[in-house]
Amino acid sequence: MAGADGEDLGRDLLSDLRNEKLTEQTKVSLLSLSLEYPSELWPDASAAEAAATSLLDVLVLLPPRPSALRKPLLLAATSVLVTGGVLGSTSGASCRLLPLLLGLASGRDVGRGFGPISEQRPLQATACECLRELESCKPGLLGGSLGLLRSLLGQEGPIQPLSLLLALSLRDSLVIQSRSGASLQGLLVSGFSTGSGPWDWTLAEEGAAHLIPQAPSWPTPYEGGCGLAALEPSPEEARELRAAVAQLLDASYLLTPVAQAQLLWLLGWTLRGLRGQPPALFKPQLARLLGTAQLTLLHAVLALKAAFGEALFTAQDEALLLRRLTLAAQHPSLPLPTHLFYLHCLLSFPENWPLGPEGEEAAPLLLGPQLCRSLMPSLLHDPMALLARLHLLCLLCAEEEEEDKGQLQSPWQYLEELLAGLRQRAAVGGSPRALATLCFQASYLVASCLAGKTKVLTPLIHGLAQLYRARPMLAPHLVDFLDKVGPELGEPLKRVLQQEVVSRPVRNEALRWHLQMLAKVAEGDAQTATLSFLQAAATHCIDWSLQQALLRVCLALLQAGGGNGLTDLLQVLARQLEDPDGRDHARLYYILLAHLAGPKLGIALDPSLAAPALASSLVAENQGFAVTLMVQETPAPIQLSVGPRMLKGSLPVLQLQIEALEPIYSLELRFRVEGQLYAPLGAIRVPYLCPGRPAHPLFLPLKPRRSAPAHLEVQALYSTPAGLTCHAPLPPLSVNFEDLFLPFPQPPDGVEQGFFEKLWDSCLPKGAESRVWCPLGPQGLETLVSHHLEPFVIMAQPPTNYHIAIRLPPSSMLLLRLEAAQVDGVPVALRTDDWAVLPLAGDYLRGLVGTK
Amino acid sequence: MLQPLAMALRAVWLIRHEPGTPLCGSVRFSRRYPTVEKRAKIFNGVSYVPVPEDGPFLKALLFELKLLDGDKDFVGSRDSCSHINKTSIYGLPLGGEELWPVVAFLRNGLIYASVPLVEQTLSPRPPLISISGISQGLQLLFGIQDFLYLSQKNDGELNTKLSQLPDLLLQACPFGTLLNANIQNLLDNSNFAPVTQPQKQPAWKAGTYKGKPQVSISIAEKVKSMQYDKQDVADTWQVVGAVTCKCDLEGIMTNVTISLSLPTNGSPLQDILVHPCVTSLDSAMLTSSSIDAVDDSAFSGPYKFPFTPPSESFNLCYYTSQVPVPPILGFYQMKEEEVQLKIAVNLKLHESVKNNFEFCEAHIPFYNRGPITHLEYKVSFGQLEVFREKGLLVWIIGQKFPKSMEISLSGTVTFGAKSHDKQPFDQICIGGTAYVKLHFRILDYTLTGCYADQHSVQVFGSGKPKISTHQKLISSDYYIWNSKAPAPVTYGSLFL
Repeated sequence: MAGADGEDLGRDLLSDLRNEKLTEQTKVSLLSLSLEYPSELWPDASAAEAAATSLLDVLVLLPPRPSALRKPLLLAATSVLVTGGVLGSTSGASCRLLPLLLGLASGRDVGRGFGPISEQRPLQATACECLRELESCKPGLLGGSLGLLRSLLGQEGPIQPLSLLLALSLRDSLVIQSRSGASLQGLLVSGFSTGSGPWDWTLAEEGAAHLIPQAPSWPTPYEGGCGLAALEPSPEEARELRAAVAQLLDASYLLTPVAQAQLLWLLGWTLRGLRGQPPALFKPQLARLLGTAQLTLLHAVLALKAAFGEALFTAQDEALLLRRLTLAAQHPSLPLPTHLFYLHCLLSFPENWPLGPEGEEAAPLLLGPQLCRSLMPSLLHDPMALLARLHLLCLLCAEEEEEDKGQLQSPWQYLEELLAGLRQRAAVGGSPRALATLCFQASYLVASCLAGKTKVLTPLIHGLAQLYRARPMLAPHLVDFLDKVGPELGEPLKRVLQQEVVSRPVRNEALRWHLQMLAKVAEGDAQTATLSFLQAAATHCIDWSLQQALLRVCLALLQAGGGNGLTDLLQVLARQLEDPDGRDHARLYYILLAHLAGPKLGIALDPSLAAPALASSLVAENQGFAVTLMVQETPAPIQLSVGPRMLKGSLPVLQLQIEALEPIYSLELRFRVEGQLYAPLGAIRVPYLCPGRPAHPLFLPLKPRRSAPAHLEVQALYSTPAGLTCHAPLPPLSVNFEDLFLPFPQPPDGVEQGFFEKLWDSCLPKGAESRVWCPLGPQGLETLVSHHLEPFVIMAQPPTNYHIAIRLPPSSMLLLRLEAAQVDGVPVALRTDDWAVLPLAGDYLRGLVGTK
Repeated sequence: MLQPLAMALRAVWLIRHEPGTPLCGSVRFSRRYPTVEKRAKIFNGVSYVPVPEDGPFLKALLFELKLLDGDKDFVGSRDSCSHINKTSIYGLPLGGEELWPVVAFLRNGLIYASVPLVEQTLSPRPPLISISGISQGLQLLFGIQDFLYLSQKNDGELNTKLSQLPDLLLQACPFGTLLNANIQNLLDNSNFAPVTQPQKQPAWKAGTYKGKPQVSISIAEKVKSMQYDKQDVADTWQVVGAVTCKCDLEGIMTNVTISLSLPTNGSPLQDILVHPCVTSLDSAMLTSSSIDAVDDSAFSGPYKFPFTPPSESFNLCYYTSQVPVPPILGFYQMKEEEVQLKIAVNLKLHESVKNNFEFCEAHIPFYNRGPITHLEYKVSFGQLEVFREKGLLVWIIGQKFPKSMEISLSGTVTFGAKSHDKQPFDQICIGGTAYVKLHFRILDYTLTGCYADQHSVQVFGSGKPKISTHQKLISSDYYIWNSKAPAPVTYGSLFL
């Protein structure tokens, strides 16, 4: 629906809404479309403004009888204003919608289009919701109406929407005012309202500055620097504020549970950090909330716990909360996702007195063994519940290590039996892979929670080896497990598994898995058994894939140091294997093993560089060629630098200048972008380079995923005149912000102004605007532009005015208006449709004067 | 920084899981919230990942939930041992980026999913517990699930309900911020939307009742049990009760108090969870928990529940209880002898239990074996039905146990060759591990003895209502394990 089709649809939709032949039901459906896809239907600010205006026109022109259209029209107008980014003091539609909503919300007569007042009542709630959404998107919007909202709450009107709206705008206003250092004066005074006069945008405009990406924050009660610290209300103000909060809390029972939870989060975060506002106001609600099983309500209580700590929860309260949480985490009447969430809450419980580092999962201090025992895992649990409970069991084991040594059934033994049960299920032929996955996940969890506890690790190792014996097809799981666990478990497990594989006769059906396993676990020592196993296996390796698996084991042994037996085996394989590719490989390995000393062998086998060469069967034709396969690490005999910017095609291209210090052949330059800012870059190949002979510049096309500067790691792979292959890392190259600049196609003569203005206007709904002072050196604006920005100038009135449009791949743009230059600098108005570009652009402009 | 707390959702999906089809599922409903998405883009900053189209979302979600067909090969990103998920919240890989957090669960073949707004950057990930939208998202999905599956019988009805969902969601969650998770209630009340909303009308109660005042209270207890007949493993059993009320009373804020009582020596109610409409709860009820060992000092009622009733039928409270003996005690012995299985089952009804069942059956399944080819048996009471293909015996005990209260079944069973598609794999019943599962129901009876005394129901500010009470006991997960082989145990069985 995106693009021109969407816009056509948007136009049709608006005209259909005015079509008297269409039924109300059809129009309601059309409006629901506009609720879900407003930015596709009206993609830019002006279209959104026009659409909102049109929707409001339809609304006021409705005949004065009940209609199902009023509610969706209000919702749609609100959505369009927000998503179009139009909401603001300069938008006519905003200035119409806001007073209308506030009028409806306060139950006033808002005009004929809405019929008699009694029919406007059902719309009160909708109007409140629209206002709440607008306030969420523009905090502070309702700052001027707090008094009115509060007085409405005391009178009549739908309690839930008004409570939530008041709580949200109260919180927003307090935060914004505390930033600006203003007082709460008059904030909550009733009767003060913008109902009749023009809308007060002051707070909203201050608030907008704060609506930016946030660092993660679930503040502990001990942490300073929360938003409201600066606000120290006077005693009267504090009293007024407390009264408002108490009023909201008293009526909270009348809200739906989800709305109660929202109110508690809001009020909790409002009072938190406000000096002189004890959280005791919440206390009367807690017993009621703790009695329920409502996910949202218990979650809100946990939020209060995190916000206030022991200021609200005594040790006994904390214990009760834990008890209720433990109980809810297993209550048979609650669904699984709820159990899982509560188990998670237990592991991340906001403690009154935290000990460990934050963010680490741990059992709460007051969760004693008795409580823990009720949450033990069993094979009958769902996998996720089993893992969550297993985590707790591990924590319990870690704590009980010293105690209960003589006890028959300690948690340790239970843990062991549980793991054994999981392995037994995974071992059954034909059982689904999920069971094997669960078994290894549980083993991994235990291994990571109880690392270093031989008591559990030894049976785990033997259990896993036994599992492998029963079901070799689980080899990939074991390989993955070995990759993930630490050496204290991994090393002994490898030895046991190696023993497990080689001590059994070779059987066809499991050979593939055994070879895969050996490639992982085979090591230098204990080779005799391994080699005889491989020798025996070779006769069974009848297809290509099995032969490759066999050779992978040989390669692993080679990497581990080889040995005499391996030389013999490779020789046998080089003769005996059916597949020529297999024979080639075996011969190559043999050559490498026979001719190279340990360290060189290591380099030759470096999988990143040597692997492609090793796969070539040509090599076998000339045994002496093997030596050329060794890749040497050397310092770079070449110098690479970024040349002047050039514009070529539809992508930014980096011009590279290369200079060789000695003759080199078959140079391949490989580039890697740090941080995945750009799509992977292709390699550049140069057949021959010679010192003193000018080399052609190289062109490296960039495919940015984001318009941001980056560093490129560079590696060179080349041959020397002596035929050796060398590998050299080069110093990283920088791609600057301006290297990404691309021009817009030059508009035809005479329409430049319009073209630029169109671009300029299109930025704002989504993007950002800024002003920068660009200092000018002695050379003046004209030289500056011609040096740096010439290709991007759309309109120029030298020497003082330039309009510049820059395309920034992948899909943004940067527009500059350099107007009325002065001697020492020029004010630059800049706009972009991607706010992230703004700081880069600012730095670029400020830095221009220093560069040539 | 301004930490906004709007607790909104960016999108909601309902996906039908269709194993065996090319995509393994289809999106049956989706709703996106563009104003919330707009905020997500701002708050998440560079870590922002847009809500994807339905197609890619479906694929990524099914993969992550392991619901795509073909788990034949090990896939690291799905099957790795370190890829551990312990909650219903997932990160979905989408075109090199990860959409997180996605709240999702599968229930009755439908996947319920939503993406809550996180009002901060996502890298590093904030702790789940700090994201208010998680519980809000789950609650909405639960609400939708209740709505779809309440008294729904077939696909046609499901489709009807799905077609009602957009309108209902427009009321429950117009902008992505959840207003009411009780979707069913919104539908029931849409018929008589109030013209005026008087002050103090709870948001969860639309309209008022006009007519004869009446209060109906039903107590349904489920009894679960795991019996092993072993020396070193203790049997376990537990009663789980649900009290459902429907109060047809005039007035908006009528206060009602219902008391649940126990007979002398009745088993105390524990783990009490109440409906949010309950206004206060005695601390003894709040702390009474199955985690503690029961002693004589435990609070044993009466359990008072003061509340203002919603218009619809609702679950006033849930509880559990630890009764002294299981209603039916039994043992199951199964032994493999050459080609056949020898089985013996014995069941004994406890004398204190009302011997008047609506029905009572013992199901004896044989998993991971072929179809039953031959059966010889003897029952002391009732009849035995054989489902050969399913490998299942059903012992129909009927309405009453005989005077002796004890019945038995013995026999030998022979099986044919196993074919995987007909006898599905069971992950527990491997080898000799096997169970008998009891299914029974007794009306006008609770195992705890818990009852709602008609005279104890207090209704303030309304005429004297007609009060009706109902009780029933149902079996649920009532297992008797083969005592001749290992059986899955819970931690409690080892420590009691």
